[in-house]
Amino acid sequence: MSQQVLSKDNSILEAKGLTRRFGGLVAVNNVSFSVQKHEIFGLIGPNGAGKTTLFNLITCLLPPSSGQLIYEGEKISQLRPHQVASKGISRTFQNIRLFGELSALENVMIGRHIHSRNIHPVAALVSGMLALPVANQQEKETKQKALELLEMMGLNDRTNEKAKNFPYGDQRRLEIARALALEPQILLLDEPAAGMNPNEKHQLSEFIREIRDRFNLTIILIEHHVPLVMGLCDRIAVLDFGQLIALGEPAVVRNDPAVIEAYLGDD
Amino acid sequence: MNLTLFIQQLLNGLSIGSIYAIFALGYTLIFSILGIINFAHGAIFTLGAYLTYALMGEAFGFNGLLANAALPIKLPFPLALILGSIIAGLVGVAIERIAFRPLRRRGADPLLTVVSSLGVALIVVNLIQYLVGAENYTFPGNTFGNLPASINFGSGENPIPIRTVQIVIFLVSVLVLAILTYFINYTKYGKAMRAVAEDPTTASLLGINTDGFIVLTFFISSFLAGVAGTLVGSSVSIAGPYFGIAFGLKGLAVIVLGGLGSIPGAVLGGLLIGVVEAFVPGQYSAYKDAVAFGILFIMLLVRPQGLLGRRLIQKV
Repeated sequence: MSQQVLSKDNSILEAKGLTRRFGGLVAVNNVSFSVQKHEIFGLIGPNGAGKTTLFNLITCLLPPSSGQLIYEGEKISQLRPHQVASKGISRTFQNIRLFGELSALENVMIGRHIHSRNIHPVAALVSGMLALPVANQQEKETKQKALELLEMMGLNDRTNEKAKNFPYGDQRRLEIARALALEPQILLLDEPAAGMNPNEKHQLSEFIREIRDRFNLTIILIEHHVPLVMGLCDRIAVLDFGQLIALGEPAVVRNDPAVIEAYLGDD
Repeated sequence: MNLTLFIQQLLNGLSIGSIYAIFALGYTLIFSILGIINFAHGAIFTLGAYLTYALMGEAFGFNGLLANAALPIKLPFPLALILGSIIAGLVGVAIERIAFRPLRRRGADPLLTVVSSLGVALIVVNLIQYLVGAENYTFPGNTFGNLPASINFGSGENPIPIRTVQIVIFLVSVLVLAILTYFINYTKYGKAMRAVAEDPTTASLLGINTDGFIVLTFFISSFLAGVAGTLVGSSVSIAGPYFGIAFGLKGLAVIVLGGLGSIPGAVLGGLLIGVVEAFVPGQYSAYKDAVAFGILFIMLLVRPQGLLGRRLIQKV
């Protein structure tokens, strides 16, 4: 039923008058923007500005009250979260949401759920039981890909340990590895630098650029640490009380009076 | 108690305990995914037993709508067991659609879903009674083909006879447990099921269709109930449409003892309660259930999270 909409220029994701109300509160208010392919797009704003709500709208965890989201020319707001994920939008969370009781390897393998060849559950069960090559081969390939990602993240020494036992920084990296396992087009990072020291934050910037280039990603990130956002992002959108008050390149946004008043002035 | 009797009772206990285990696993799977107890589980157990009985071509009694009716086919026991349990599984899927999903979609309080499942249990039980009456049904004498009625595990002068049906039950249960363990731990679908159990929101953002896995979980859970019902029915008899309800309560004792939501816990709890019950002296056998629930109460006082359960942490 998805209606094809001609996308302008090189846009991969477009929000048109996106609004989300919670009772009387307007968490996201008539927000429009367009994210270009291969861009690192920053989303900043004071606490409660509606940044995470916007992420929840993009991943279809919440339906918008009004307005539209267009991803690669297709309206996605009416889709269910797993459908959007299958189409190539993947995310991490502000408060890390790993499967704590599962191993690091299993977390990443689950991220490959949509890519491992689809054989029927009953067929998987039967062929697995009889040790037939089909099921084993499928699991082997998935495991191989997952191990590659873990190695890239420097997490290959404890792949069988439960995710909840990892230190905070490693959990952040594991969550990114799991998000990358989906082979997304767009990666949404919700405060990836939270809890990191200045040195780690610097490394994170480098790392985000690296994965953008290596996996040919478009990245949208929410971040509170202003220097990091200014140094890393191609363009920045500033939200305040649910409204988009500025959008543009870091140098422009930095000097915008509305932004200084709403956000940067607070520091 | 002499050694022969001890070994006999131990094996009997393991046999009935292994049924408790696969039955309780059905509860556990649904609990770990939806966080609720499915009270229709005991009714599915009953249904599974009747289905297998019917698929073996046995006639029903003279009460009920289906009086004296019998299916024109006579499947051998293993086939009837598998097919009957598959139908039980499909009924479970239908129950999820009718009694669980609409409430979940509306974000209803879990208590309402529990009440809904109780309603389904009563409907299923009453429907069975309406169709085939309330009498006992006994599986035919040749259910296990030409196998002898009992097998001697001792020597000629020291016989330790064990009923064949107990051995069949134990082997079938172990086989089912092995398949399920493999499925949950080593296949893509098992991993996805565990992911949905731990955090359905995050699982859906990784491309996992959570509703699909809830359906799969109901199928597996109800399949297990069907197998358990058939095994109990073939071991003793199908004691009327309500016979799954008491068994269902016993299953609750098992999962609380083992630890809510823990798969190894359900197995351990089932075997434990089975063995303890087997050692209840004959003259007190009417109090077996009291023993099971006595263990449950002590457990709740000493270790509320159960044997293998995780300590509950308040989610923030």
